[in-house]
Amino acid sequence: MALAKKNSLATAGISPTTPVLSKDLFVRYKDEKDLHDQAFETKPVSYLADCFKRFAKNKASIVAAVIIFLIALYAIIVPLASPRSHVDSVRYPNGYMDSNFSYVLPYNPLFKGTGFWDGTKTETKSQNDYQTMLYGDSNHSRFVKLLSTSETQVGFSTVKAYKVRVDTYAVGNKNVKLSPAQFADLTSYEKEHEIYRTPKSIMKPLVDVENYLANYETEIIADGVATSTAAGIIDFMRTYYNQNSNVYFALSAKTASGNYSQNRFSPILDSSGKPIDIYKHDGANHLIYEELVSGEYNVRVDYFDYATFRDGFEPYFIFGTNDAGQDIFLRLAKGTQFSLLLGVGISAINFIIGLIWGAMSGYYGGTADLIMERITDIISNIPSIIILSICSIQFTNNVALKAALGESGIIVLAFLVAFVYSGWVGVASTTRMQFYRFKGQEYVLASRTLGAKDGRLIFKHILPNAIGTLVTSSVLMIPGVIFSESSLSYLGIINFSTSGLSSIGSLLNEGQAAGLQYYPHVLLFPCIVISLLMISFNLFGNGLRDAFNTSLKGSED
Amino acid sequence: MNNQKDKEKAKEESTQKVSINASESTANGAVAAQKSNPFLSFFSKIRSSLKNSSKETKQTLAYIAQRLVLMLITFIAIFFICFILIRLLPINADSGMKDPEIFYLNMVAQGRMEKVVDAAGKVTYRNIPVFRQLWTFLANLFTPGNSAPWGYSYKIEWLSSPADVLFKRLPPTVLINVYSMFISIPLGLLLGIYMALKKNKWQDHFLSVLVMLFISVPSFVYAFLLQYVFSYAWQILPAMRADASAGWFSFEMFRSMILPVLSMTFGSIAGFARYTRAELTEVLTSDFMLLARTKGLTRAQATVRHAFRNSLVPIFPMILGEIISVLSGSLIIENIFTVNGVGALFLQSIQTRDYDVFQFVAMFYILIGLVGTLVVDVSYGLVDPRIRMGSEK
Repeated sequence: MALAKKNSLATAGISPTTPVLSKDLFVRYKDEKDLHDQAFETKPVSYLADCFKRFAKNKASIVAAVIIFLIALYAIIVPLASPRSHVDSVRYPNGYMDSNFSYVLPYNPLFKGTGFWDGTKTETKSQNDYQTMLYGDSNHSRFVKLLSTSETQVGFSTVKAYKVRVDTYAVGNKNVKLSPAQFADLTSYEKEHEIYRTPKSIMKPLVDVENYLANYETEIIADGVATSTAAGIIDFMRTYYNQNSNVYFALSAKTASGNYSQNRFSPILDSSGKPIDIYKHDGANHLIYEELVSGEYNVRVDYFDYATFRDGFEPYFIFGTNDAGQDIFLRLAKGTQFSLLLGVGISAINFIIGLIWGAMSGYYGGTADLIMERITDIISNIPSIIILSICSIQFTNNVALKAALGESGIIVLAFLVAFVYSGWVGVASTTRMQFYRFKGQEYVLASRTLGAKDGRLIFKHILPNAIGTLVTSSVLMIPGVIFSESSLSYLGIINFSTSGLSSIGSLLNEGQAAGLQYYPHVLLFPCIVISLLMISFNLFGNGLRDAFNTSLKGSED
Repeated sequence: MNNQKDKEKAKEESTQKVSINASESTANGAVAAQKSNPFLSFFSKIRSSLKNSSKETKQTLAYIAQRLVLMLITFIAIFFICFILIRLLPINADSGMKDPEIFYLNMVAQGRMEKVVDAAGKVTYRNIPVFRQLWTFLANLFTPGNSAPWGYSYKIEWLSSPADVLFKRLPPTVLINVYSMFISIPLGLLLGIYMALKKNKWQDHFLSVLVMLFISVPSFVYAFLLQYVFSYAWQILPAMRADASAGWFSFEMFRSMILPVLSMTFGSIAGFARYTRAELTEVLTSDFMLLARTKGLTRAQATVRHAFRNSLVPIFPMILGEIISVLSGSLIIENIFTVNGVGALFLQSIQTRDYDVFQFVAMFYILIGLVGTLVVDVSYGLVDPRIRMGSEK
């Protein structure tokens, strides 16, 4: 102990008046052996491997990465694989849509019959509507389940209301016109499936509306209705028959109180409680299924089955349809694809521009930096919504540009200009900060002393140190771009409707136009996808940030 | 564009700037260049002329003046750019214009178009080159007695001045933002403090997940959710804002504002909570907290008197920024709940192509953004005099 003290005194340079240390106090360490560095027994870990190891430890980021991967997969595979994206382009020039299936609810075969996600909804029906719905001759009954009935007193009469669960996919029968070739196809299809001219057939017997209406008119005039009133009732009834092609039976306008109603019709029942059909018959009393009028066949078809025959797939939609009867599942996949591509593409462009700008301003500093900072100051303070709206108005009015790029090209260009114009500022300021951090360090000075040029210092010495932070910030930029894109197209600043393109934002816009109150499903699925994307990208970005942060190494072990 | 997320981003950026400038002071090249800059030497002259006040006040004042002038220069540059871009947009008396005659008369009077009569006597109007328009505009702006230097609204409110249109739309926006601020600031701070005190316990983990969710999920998603659940499914709150006839402070108005305020608050609370938690955990681990406990303060005393006050240094400017941005409405929330505020006006002016209103509202938004940044930067220095954003050294 005392020895050590004296020793330290000696080394500290406090001049000892008498040298008390003799040489034989010191023994040479390992005198007999040569001293060598020991070879590493473990493998060296590279920077990236180290980062990856740290990233893999973060469970939340892994889950987020998987979710992003799944969404990207959905966006890529569905437009390629879905039969709905490979429909006849002559019949559907703008992709699959069938306005007869407008706003049908999401249908998932797994939930069939549960009342949730099975394409059914609850409706309240009047007695007439309820009966008409029950008696249709369609293959698919709209009626699913009677939930409750209620009676309310209106004046002197009681009005019955039926709360029923209806199947939105059962759109009933429709009158369609077929070319002779299509008609022959349909006939052979029916024969093949052994449903030709059976109750389950696609083509239903035609209804002799005009004949019935003429008879009915004379009947009610005989009952004491004025001629003009009778003509009005018959007109309304004709419209009713035309609109409800599954009504194949005789209707009466007589209400329970014995008056004639203008717009409420109920089926006339026979003694056994069944409606009386008014099908068309030929001379031999056979049912008539088709009429050839000016080279086209007029037929009455069960529309669901007809659509299945026509398109080759059952018109069930897992996410439902929108106003035009387009499949939301497919459109959302396309929209997600567009949004993701836009996000990644714009982030990449911004990354490159920001990197170059920030490296120049950070590395050279001085007056260059001051001027460049003022420019970014001005640029970053003009909101991109202003630039986007100006671009959108300017581009759509530019005939030459429109001809060269097309509608969708203009939209992409407007987004590119609006988001690239100020998006790189963030990357530039991060890069600039990193350059300020590293350019003054000794190892850069050493390299400079050895004669390294600016380019070598920037790309070989400073940039690799900053790359982790920069990659993280550019990954975090992707959800930012997707979010801005979707909010701006949601607000309708860019009009997608005529271009055939869709993005998550344009789907949100459609959903709001549909009305959250009536058709929440149109809005629900885009909202879920964008929320998942935002959460996952943020978690993923945070995981990356921690992974690239070398100072965290060993802190959690 | 002016939703909670963007505000937060702006704040994060401004906090980044602190560190940029901190590192700047170590960078010799930059400082040397700044010293030779004519603007800055001008400010140092102002500084030396302020001899009567104490050194510190002088420095602060000079710093504020410097930032103000820089902001003005930026604003003027932005104004010129926007003016030129907007005046280059195609403009004519298209369908929906109430009276094309008056429109063209005004256009000619303001030096934006000139009347051309061709040989057949047909009258057409031709645009004047945009730089000449800019010159006329500036001349008009500084001519006393000129009634409408900023033009007129032709679509939204026939022949009103854009300023009138804007000021009419301010009350709902300000009201909603103020309500949302009164809820989100205290709640956010309290949550943040609670999380910091319970750091790494289950409460903290649970709340952190919630905060992360609320920060990530776009505000329109919870706006839709709230609107669907409360207005359509349960029907207990109105989906749309009540009309102004009931008075701004009536109960009916308040009820109709609950949903928009709530949907704006969630993200904001989460932002404040995350920020406060980060700041407070950092302060709680510092040495002076140990000293405070050692000298006999209870944990509550030490936290409130020492830790919380210190953690407020970066949070206070954030709150100030929030107060400034009360004037600018959120486009999306106002759109969803049909609040006819400033955000809705901005959108309407774009959709109806009412360019004069568009220009005025855009400049209003830009000015608020600039003033907000300025106030945040300056207040950093006021709260903690060691911080000088953009200072020389």
